[in-house]
Formats: sequence, C-alpha cells, structure tokens
Amino acid sequence: MFFALTDEQRALAETVRDVLADRFDLTAVRAVFEDTGGDGHPRELWRTIGDQGWLSVCVPVDQGGLGLGLVDAQVIARAFGAGVLPGPWASTVLAGEAVRRFGSSAQATAVLGPLGGGELVATVALRGPGGGLGRPGIAVRATSDGRLYGMASGVEYAAVADLLVVAALEAAPETAPGADADATGGTAVVPVDGVGLYLVDPCAVGVRVAPQSGFDGTTRLAAVTLEGVLGRRLPGSDDAALADLLRRGAVLAAADLVGLAREALRRTVAYDSARVQFGRPVGSFQALAHHLADLHVAVTMAEHAVLFAAHAVDSTPADIPANVTPADTPADATELADPVDVEPVDVDRVDAVLAVAIAKSKASDTARDVTAAMIQYHGGIGYTWEHDTHFFYKRAKRLAAAYGDSGDHLAEIARTAVGPMS
Amino acid sequence: MDLTYPPEVADFRRELRAWLAAELPAAWAAPGFWTTLGEDESFDLRRGWERRKALAGFGGIDWPTEYGGRGGSPTMAALADAELARARAPRSVNPLGLTFLAPTVMAVGTPEQKTGILAPMLRNDVIWCQGFSEPESGSDLGSVRTRGERDGDDFLVHGQKVWTTSARHADRMFALVRTDPAASRHRGLSLLLIDLRSPGVEVRPIRQLSGISEFGEVFFTDVRVPAADCVGGLGNGWATAMLLLSFERGASAMGQYTDFRRAYDQIVEVARALGRDRDPSVRQSLARRLVELECLRYHALHVLTEVERGRDLGFASSVTKLQWSQAYQGLFDTFDEVLGADVGLDHPLGEFGESGGLDLTALRRESFWTRSVTIWGGSSQIQRSIVAERVLGLPNSRLA
Repeated sequence: MFFALTDEQRALAETVRDVLADRFDLTAVRAVFEDTGGDGHPRELWRTIGDQGWLSVCVPVDQGGLGLGLVDAQVIARAFGAGVLPGPWASTVLAGEAVRRFGSSAQATAVLGPLGGGELVATVALRGPGGGLGRPGIAVRATSDGRLYGMASGVEYAAVADLLVVAALEAAPETAPGADADATGGTAVVPVDGVGLYLVDPCAVGVRVAPQSGFDGTTRLAAVTLEGVLGRRLPGSDDAALADLLRRGAVLAAADLVGLAREALRRTVAYDSARVQFGRPVGSFQALAHHLADLHVAVTMAEHAVLFAAHAVDSTPADIPANVTPADTPADATELADPVDVEPVDVDRVDAVLAVAIAKSKASDTARDVTAAMIQYHGGIGYTWEHDTHFFYKRAKRLAAAYGDSGDHLAEIARTAVGPMS
Repeated sequence: MDLTYPPEVADFRRELRAWLAAELPAAWAAPGFWTTLGEDESFDLRRGWERRKALAGFGGIDWPTEYGGRGGSPTMAALADAELARARAPRSVNPLGLTFLAPTVMAVGTPEQKTGILAPMLRNDVIWCQGFSEPESGSDLGSVRTRGERDGDDFLVHGQKVWTTSARHADRMFALVRTDPAASRHRGLSLLLIDLRSPGVEVRPIRQLSGISEFGEVFFTDVRVPAADCVGGLGNGWATAMLLLSFERGASAMGQYTDFRRAYDQIVEVARALGRDRDPSVRQSLARRLVELECLRYHALHVLTEVERGRDLGFASSVTKLQWSQAYQGLFDTFDEVLGADVGLDHPLGEFGESGGLDLTALRRESFWTRSVTIWGGSSQIQRSIVAERVLGLPNSRLA
C-alpha cells in the first residue's frame, strides 16, 4: 500500500520546476501570451525538454524513452500547469501514446525516437467543430483506402506539428468501395462502422492548417481541414483505442489543472498575507481565509484524484470496451422494498473509467474555482492585464473543457453509478 | 503507487471477513433492524457484540499485544474499519475510549493506568465518555469552568459537562477539569478520570433533533475523584487534551468512506425505485456526491500511506474532517432531491405504488444525524481557521 509519489517522482517534479524557474518564468510566458501572431512554441526550451526525457516519459526504453507511466507524466504535467507553460508537450506525449499503444512496430520505431528526443512535434485531432467527446464529436471520415475528409477543430499546436494523429469515422466494410470514393467531409450518409486513428503529415497535399485565435495565450490552437489526404492507419485503433486516448488526455489535462490550481492558490495566499487593509493583512479576515481553506481542501482532493486516475490507467489492461453500457434493467419498485440491500464496495478497488471521470471533473471545477478566487482576492490589480492572474484563469477555463468538461464526466459517472439514462 | 496489500494484511482481511460472515447475525444487516430497537436494547446488543469481537482477536487491531491488542499495522486497523462497515457490523459503543483515551494512556499513562484501563476497555467492561464541552465552553475549550478542589488525596469535582456522547450508558468519563483556579486559561487544567457511578453525578439525556438521545449532560456536585486518576500529570491537562485530540487520525476515514458509500448506494436504489434515476438533475447531483466520496477514499489511502511511513499528519487532519463531514452531509442533501415532492413522507410510494412504499427510517435518521457532523469534533468553521492559519500559513484572525 503506497499512495504517494516516490522519491524519484518528487525529484522529477522539483527538477521541472527548477528548469522553468530558471529558463521560462512568467515573464517569458507573458512574451508568448502577448505575441498573438507567433506560433507559441518555446523552441529555445524544447531541446532541454527533449534532453531531460520529459517528452519520452511514456516511450519504451528500447525506443530510447524513459519507459515510465502516466503517473510520471502527470508529475510533469502538474509542474507545467504550475508554470502555465506554453508549448506542445501534452499534445506530443499524447500522440506518442497513440502510436505506442495502437501503432505497428514500424510506426513506433519511426515516430517514438524522434518524438521523445524533441525533434518531432506531434499533436492529436480528435474532434470536429463544436464536437463533444468521443465518436459523436468526430467530423472526419476515412475511406477504406485510408483517405481522410473532414475537419478537426481546436487542435493544439497543429501549426508547428510535424505529425498529426487524426480520429476518423470509418465506413462499414460492406459499403461499396464506390460510395467510399465519393465520400466527402460532412456527408453523413455512409453508415459508420467504427473509428480509426490515422497518422497524417500536416505538410502533405490535402491538409490545411488554419490557426484559430483564442483567449488562452499559453497555447495555440488550429483548425485542420482534410481533403483526401492519405492517412496511415494505426492498426490497433478502434473505438476502445479512442476512448483510451481520451482518458489519457483527460488525465494530463486534469494534472495540468491541479498544478495550476495549487500554484494559483499559493500565489493568492502569499498576496493576501502581505496586502494590508484596515491595519491588518486581508488574509486574516475569515471571509477570505475560510474560503481559501475550502479551496485548499478541494485542491488536495483533486491532486489525490489525478494521482489515483493516472495509476488506474497505468494498471488497467489495454482492452476496456468502449462505450460501456451496463445492462439496461430498469429497477422495479416491487423488487426494491429493501433499499438497504446493496452490494458493499471495497476500499482498494480500481476502476479506470470511473477514476478518470472523477479526476477530470474534480480538477476542472477546482481549477475554475481557485483561479476565480485568485482574481477576486487580488482585488482590482487581479483584474488587470498587467497582472499574471489571467494566465492561470484563462488556461484553466480552456483546459476545464478539454477532453470532456465537468458535465461530460459527471454524465459518465452517473452512467456508472446510477445506471443508463433510459 | 501500489494499492495492493502485503500478504499478511490480505490474510488478515480474509480472516476477518470469514469471521464476520460466520458471527455477525444476519438479521442485524436487515433494513431498519437497528431502528426497531430501543436505545438500551440496542446498546446492550452492541456492547456484547464488540466484546465477542475483542475476545476473538479482532479488537485493538493496531494496539501492542501487551495491552491486549493484536499488534497489527495501521493499514490493518484501517482495513478492519472498512471490513466492519462493509459487513454492516454495528458501530462501536466505546469509540471515544478507543479512539482518544486509549492511545493517550499508552503514550503518557502510568503503568497502573495502562493495566487498569486498556484491556477492560477493549472488552467493553468499561464504557468511556468524553467530558470536554460545557455550556459556556464549546469551540473555546480553554475556557472550561468545571473545577476540582484538592481534598487530601482526592479532588472534589463540581460543574457541568454537556453534549456528552453515550452519557447515559457510560461508566467513566475522561474530563478536562480546572484543578488550579489561580492559573490562567490553558494552565491549571487536568485530565481526570471520573467514575460516573460516584455519588454526586447526575446524567440527563438530551433529545436531539433526530428524536433520539445519544447525547447527554452530566452534572457534578462534589464528586470525589482520586488524584491518582489523572492522565498526563496534574496541571498538564491542556497538553494532554491536545495530544488526545491528535489521535483522531484520518486513517479512520476508510471505515467512514465504506459507511458513506453504503448510504450512497442505498440512495441510488431509492432513486431507481422512485424512477428518479432518469432525472438529469438528480443524476448530476448523485455524480457530484460520488466525486466527493471517492476523493475521500483516495485521501484515506494517502493518509494511511503517510501514517505507515511514520509521518505526523499534524493539522492536515482538519482537511480530512472537512472533506468527510461535508461529503457525508452533502450526500443527504441529494437524498432530499431524490425524494423530491415526497421528501416529507416517512413512506413515499414507489413509482409502482402497489409496493406499499419504501422504508426509509434508517436513511432518514442518518440524514438528520449528518447535521451534527459539521459541529462536533471541531466545527467546520474551527477546522477552516486551522487550515487557513496552520496549513496555508495565513495570518492569525484573532491576533491581527
């Protein structure tokens, strides 16, 4: 029984924080934030990040990586969140996970080495404009010969990426090849059989990458339009693979959010300990202090939840069926005169699907609350562009919705704990 | 991260599970069983059960064997809490003694106290209650007025304690008493062990808003207490009380989690029976409650890890208290949402009304009980001040 970071993981967290403090503090973040025309990629830092192995944290040792897991990746994500660090770290790691877990060995060999070393920037394109989580949100279709049509939106760092991992709807195999060849993005007449993940070269003919502006200057987003480009399918990909990738994305986003929330709380406590009004530090007023105490409890719980979720994903076999729907047996009141008679639960059970949903919803809500309090408890200065509060607030706002917002994950939790909707 | 248990702990859990399956009367787990009993009858059943449990070797899991315990690890103790909750075994009738007094006596008691107090407590030969709160002394514990006047080898205790859990059934009380009236506030206090059968002790039950009387008030009129029945040294009562309260460790949240999770699952069953499980608002509310309960479980695992590593949790136990008490209380707010318009009925009809309705007596009693958990053991407001000042390091609100 050991529910904590190891000494090595603690040391890793410290190293990341030290490097950022030394090489990319909030002044550097501000430069990226305000350079709205720039690509937002801190290249001067990327060599270091690659050399440190932070991009290859989940890459197997025989591919030149560290061969660690999501628990270690979330250590880095938390530190990057605390530093509101710009750059395509999470998207690259996630694309690497897609290749590692669902790619062929040839694909893994070609991609993972350069990716881990920092020479190859990658990203994932998993949803269309306005699209939600999972299959229903995808607006890209794949033909049976691997040509991709459609659009993905809000793709992190697509403009600097060397490689895209694109989720695409796939037609049923019995569909006539002729119908496939005619398919274009947006025509939803071809029956969908499944989902595949495809490697796409963003510089290839048939791919257009158009930057999308957004309020969170600590990242860069783009729309990707696919017009018949040939994708290389990851042979192990399917609905379950997409769900797996989304869970990993949710854990990394949640980790970034809790790192960010902890740092936002720390900065707020420091400010309110020093700021004097009515002859005393404002942090001594219980109206503030008690709310900050509640936020500390929330951040602590969110940290636990992210750690547990990362461990749950690490320790769960690859093949969790997608779209798990418990047997639909509406309860009959006549059988339930005994509402007390329910199966007891064990304190050490691990359910990755539930754990990830809990972590992401808790982290999203907590980071939103903490960063809002950060603005409020800095008073007027906290509402200015010159102050750093808005980096935290805006990054939290964006990430809270990434890989499923709180509502998406609460719905998932309800499906598990309460049962199907109908 | 490693959420598996070492073999000896896994063996222990199997052993305890088997013993509970064999020894715990099946009727006790039936819906509403405990609500059908009178308070005295219920207490006697629980007292006897706990004694049998101790005699079978499942009491004092992490106590040293020299005091009659099992000599197990904190993990084993926490797992035992969870297993007992899982099997729906009744809660201890001696929780204040077991949680607070026992470790205090082990740490600072005299050899005579260790012999005289620990093993009898484990067998429930002596039921203990705590005498800290007074009418004028709630959160501000340093202001207690109950006084002990020296009379030869004894103290004559005079005063009143209130909100005393198990006052009616307890045999003895560990009480914070002002033994030196000249000393100011925190000085001049002593932790005295008072025999509640002594002349001059009067116990009156207090009926709670739930309708039952778990609490009481205790009046002392020149009650004779030997000066030897002081734990931690005369005049050292404040430090001893602080040590005593520090034993409310978060590791016990394992048992609480299991208890609360059982209540959660029951509430989900009620929602299904009433057809409320398809209401989007109820579903989201239930999902949010599960988030907080599961966070409590993760937190319990974290705390247990720290305890096993020999780390002092210090004021972080306030975080545990805030999380469990608010998660538990909030769960029953959602229970009200589940019942909807029928919340005021003791027996709301199910969606298929012929069933004659659901018996919600036990859940309802628990629902009212949760109003108290954010008050006793340090109110949420006190806990927030502790977290703000001692954990976050914010400036002190009273001295500024």
